[in-house]
Amino acid sequence: MLTLKLAFRNLFRNTRRTILTSLLISSSLIVLILVDGIMLGMMDVMVGGITHTLEGEAQVTRKGFRNNFEVEYTIENPTDVISQIKASDAVEGFGPRVIIGGMIASSYNTTGGLVYGVDARQELNVSKISDAIVAGQYLSGEAREILIGKPMADLLEVELGDRIIITAATVDTNEITQELFRLSGIFEFGPEEMDENLIFINLDKAQEVLGMQGNLHQVAIRFKDPEDSKNPELPLFKQLTDEENEALGWLDLQPSIGAMIEMSGYTTAIVGTILFLLTSLGVINSMFMSIYERIYEFGVAKAIGTTPWQIIQLVLFEALLLALLSCVIGLTLGYVLGDYFSVNGIPMGKMEVSGIVIDGNMYTRLALYQFVNFPIYVTLLTLVAAIYPATFASRIVPTEALQRAL
Amino acid sequence: MTNVIETRDLCRTFGSEETEVTALDHVSIDIEEGEFTAIIGPSGSGKTTLLHLIGGLDEPNGGSVMLSGSNIANMSGNELSDFRRDHIGFIFQAYNLIPVLSAEENIEYIMLLQGVNAAERKKRVREMLAMVELEGLGDRRPAHLSGGQQQRVAVARAMASNPDIILADEPTANLDSKTGISLLEVMRDLNQKRNMTFVFSTHDEKIMERATRLIHLRDGKVELDERK
Repeated sequence: MLTLKLAFRNLFRNTRRTILTSLLISSSLIVLILVDGIMLGMMDVMVGGITHTLEGEAQVTRKGFRNNFEVEYTIENPTDVISQIKASDAVEGFGPRVIIGGMIASSYNTTGGLVYGVDARQELNVSKISDAIVAGQYLSGEAREILIGKPMADLLEVELGDRIIITAATVDTNEITQELFRLSGIFEFGPEEMDENLIFINLDKAQEVLGMQGNLHQVAIRFKDPEDSKNPELPLFKQLTDEENEALGWLDLQPSIGAMIEMSGYTTAIVGTILFLLTSLGVINSMFMSIYERIYEFGVAKAIGTTPWQIIQLVLFEALLLALLSCVIGLTLGYVLGDYFSVNGIPMGKMEVSGIVIDGNMYTRLALYQFVNFPIYVTLLTLVAAIYPATFASRIVPTEALQRAL
Repeated sequence: MTNVIETRDLCRTFGSEETEVTALDHVSIDIEEGEFTAIIGPSGSGKTTLLHLIGGLDEPNGGSVMLSGSNIANMSGNELSDFRRDHIGFIFQAYNLIPVLSAEENIEYIMLLQGVNAAERKKRVREMLAMVELEGLGDRRPAHLSGGQQQRVAVARAMASNPDIILADEPTANLDSKTGISLLEVMRDLNQKRNMTFVFSTHDEKIMERATRLIHLRDGKVELDERK
């Protein structure tokens, strides 16, 4: 107890130095919490960009369909698949789709695109087509409705209500078919690739035009718990995957994003390591200054019978108290700043990462582990950094130290 | 009487080759239990070095030190720390109290190292403070005590572990004459009541007057050893 008391009093012998060192350590903790919070926030935006914009958190397709969107690769037994999805407690919503490449023409111009036939009502549960509408209106189920992106509308020189003709090959006979639509809405998702190439029409009409008779190319799924989408062992995935069909979560559908998430973990680790190295140098420097100031005291302590291990314990106690003080400051400020940026965001301007548009503010996300694991790392770091000065103090030769007292 | 301190051919040099200085040159002395001994001599004669070697704070280049029958050269670092803690009390010229601890806590510290229980520690702290006539000042930190009071606390700290030997290096050098005499009376009283062995290194005539034995050192050698 006296050792703890001694350590505490020693810590505040030079209050200014202790506060400065503590601020250095707590700053590392704050930066680590914020960097990790930003990474989590960025991942949320990216994952949300993928799963909420159009792709869904999981998809069921015929095996091989995703390779080159071959129209004849339709889902085997689509009615059974839909039934199983409907029956699953884990599913929040789903959207059946047909997807086919075609030519889109107006009176003035022609371009290519990917035509999505979607169920207007069910699509609301899985994608943000409705939210992306910037002119006109979302699909209502009318047969000749069509939604195109703003860049495509500019290229085709069409306005709301103008005629658009889709030309595509039918699935059943492989004959070329044409169908007339009236532009009912213009969307802007953000990524140019999507806005320039995607077209949305009603599912029934798409199946009729393409001769698909109730067949589907894709069912996009959203889960009640988004974490389910990352679990390849999810019963629904196993039920829906057989020799013909496959059900995959977004991590398998977008492996590049999975790799980016993994990289973000390394980024936090690298930032943390650099911060910790710099901080440990500061801690070592501060502890050495403190020891040099008290060198005669260590000499006296050893002269009257304090063992080297007891000296090490004393210095480590001081480091522990310094770390705890720093953690209190760091956690408090880290929480306040992290919480502020989670509400107000950090202004980032507009940028696109891996096809995901981040427009405006980047919001941090605080997580419990940041306030449990990071302080433990900081405390351990401070203790490890203090081992060197503690060992030095334990090796002080009493006679040499006592000479300095005179 | 039993010898509590025996040195044989004790040598200590500092520096190397051209700059080598001989601080002690084959010093052999025996000090009996209960003696009140002063090691005297001019500056640089080796008084403090001899005290440090007797206390196991420094290692000799040659010779041996036996304390209460134990050769301290055969002790490991930790054994020597424990031996100092249990058998030797130190009093330094500059008091060397721990500034962040109160007078009571400074005295208590060594007993804590010995593993003395809290009740016993408190009791002995009270006794020690009474013995050095500092009752009521136990909660003061060194900065709030006079030099004489600090040295009294240092004496109490040295006594707190019930050591066999007290080694005091110029204990009155930083004190005024009156305070020095008062402190010496305290130490002489302890020596007589508890038969505790005191060894001083000093220039102070007041100590020399009260010492029962004077060992004169010059150029690292014992020049004269006189018992009163």
